[in-house]
Amino acid sequence: MKNKEVLFGLYDDEEILLKAVKEARDHHLDIMDVFSPFPVHGLDPILGLSESRLHQAGFVYGMIGTLTAFLFMTWVFTRDWPIIFGGKPYWSVPAFIPITFELTVLFASIGMVVTYYAVNGQGPGVTNPVLDDRITDDKFCIAFDVSESSSETVETYKNFFSQTSASEVRTKTI
Amino acid sequence: MNQFTLAGRDRTILFGLMILGLLCMGITFITDDAYHSRFWSNFLHNSVFFTGIAFLALMFLCASLIAFSGWHVVFKRIWEAYAQFLIVGIVLMAVVALGIWFDFHHLYHWADAESVAHDPVLEGKSGFLNPFMYTLFSVVVVGVWYFFARKMRELSIKEDGVAQYDYSFHQSMRNYASWFLPIGGFTSAAIVWLWVMSIDAHWYSTLFAWYCTISWFVSMLCVTVLTLIFLKGRGYYEEVDANHFHDLGKYVFGFSVFWTYLWFSQYMLIWYGNVGEETIYFRQRLDSYPVLFYANLIINFVLPFLVLLRNDTKRKMGTMSVICSIVLIGHWLDYFLMIKPGVMHTAHELMGGHGAGHATEGHGEAASHGAAHGAEVADHAEHVSEFVNGFTIPGFLEIGTFLGFAALFIYLFMRQLEKAPLVARRDPYIDESLHHHVV
Repeated sequence: MKNKEVLFGLYDDEEILLKAVKEARDHHLDIMDVFSPFPVHGLDPILGLSESRLHQAGFVYGMIGTLTAFLFMTWVFTRDWPIIFGGKPYWSVPAFIPITFELTVLFASIGMVVTYYAVNGQGPGVTNPVLDDRITDDKFCIAFDVSESSSETVETYKNFFSQTSASEVRTKTI
Repeated sequence: MNQFTLAGRDRTILFGLMILGLLCMGITFITDDAYHSRFWSNFLHNSVFFTGIAFLALMFLCASLIAFSGWHVVFKRIWEAYAQFLIVGIVLMAVVALGIWFDFHHLYHWADAESVAHDPVLEGKSGFLNPFMYTLFSVVVVGVWYFFARKMRELSIKEDGVAQYDYSFHQSMRNYASWFLPIGGFTSAAIVWLWVMSIDAHWYSTLFAWYCTISWFVSMLCVTVLTLIFLKGRGYYEEVDANHFHDLGKYVFGFSVFWTYLWFSQYMLIWYGNVGEETIYFRQRLDSYPVLFYANLIINFVLPFLVLLRNDTKRKMGTMSVICSIVLIGHWLDYFLMIKPGVMHTAHELMGGHGAGHATEGHGEAASHGAAHGAEVADHAEHVSEFVNGFTIPGFLEIGTFLGFAALFIYLFMRQLEKAPLVARRDPYIDESLHHHVV
């Protein structure tokens, strides 16, 4: 993958960050990403991020788990190896419910974790470039991708940072 | 608008419904059997249902206070006002208790001295299942609950007058709440045994108290959602927005699932154990009430689960009002299913049709009189499975009675709501509640 040239500004407070993001949206500046040490309330709608669809995938995985467990037990206890337990019928639905429930939860949770990692391109051995160590601690960051930007655009971004009182502005190639 | 006034038209409608309820109860009483089983079971059913809602409002208010929860504060006056219904609960349950002393009704098999004398199971339970304990719990213990309800509301209203950052009343409310939680928690379990579980006097389930309480809790949340939507429609509670509904929706969703968990746990253990004394409870309901039995699960689990699973349905008042109305009725039916079969069974036995075929008496003799006993059981089962309007399914009179009780509950709630500002402006958590964000 080609290296990116990133221009980023650091902010000291999430309120200032929120104002700055609003400002960027109003001026149609193309933000690459925003980093913060903790989830900032109200940031997602301003950034125009759509709601995650992870839970929909989770529902599908859950249903797969439900069906797997229930149909497998049905097959085992009625076709493959029917055994009478405690005088109950072969197809004892109440006895299947707890296992069906467990497998639903298991499939949904593991499926969602794997999907999350796959979609975000994460996994064992993958390293993520960090713009600045302090954005995991007490700094809030707005980053612009300037790899292919003209010098005027970069100038606009720099003006934007100074207007919205960013405490530091730097570039980094990642 | 921070001050609620009950509009004249609403008052008329509520009084109309109350009169309808009284009328239905009157008709039920006149057209009833000799023991007035239908009338009294309806009375007990609705009294227990609405008293429970009032109790759970207080319980949840106290639990939220202790848990440093802030999101609900903007509409906490609603729960305070619900809880004031407990005083009516005392009166209603005192009527049932008086009925046990003076034989107005035969809701409880254990209240019949002659049956108890011939029945080792009932005799063994008579230390707890007796008129004295029933009265003690229905009047004194609910009285204690009412004391806390009064106290919490009184302190909350006084808090409106304090200077900003004065948390003395809040602290005092926390103290009362922390006392109420264990008291209410333990006594409510015992009260459920007396009021509801002892209708099936021979039967018991250790899960039953939780099961009932969660049923009350979900009903209370549904009533909260419905009243909030009503009040918002009238222009009150503009501060309550989609975020609060989202949280209420999550509670309805979560506790519907928890209700199902308890329902299933109770069912599966009894099904697995396969002990006749226990399975009879579900046998009766499956044989004579199959529609209600499965509808109960569909209305109270499948429907809220599938609909409220999504984020956006919890944030829409339209969806929430539909789902909460259905689930509220579902839990009312759940109580119907807990109360009616047992009352009908008791009435059958007391009316002498099957005195000899008594379940526990029959057991000992089963070996010697195998054939005779079997015939008797078959005869008995046939009788139980007979369709009886007002018992097998709720009839119009039941619905009318429910509307009457609901109107009484709502009327008293709204009268209470009129007495204080709608939003507790001096609660330490009010800002958190006003700026509540879920998504």
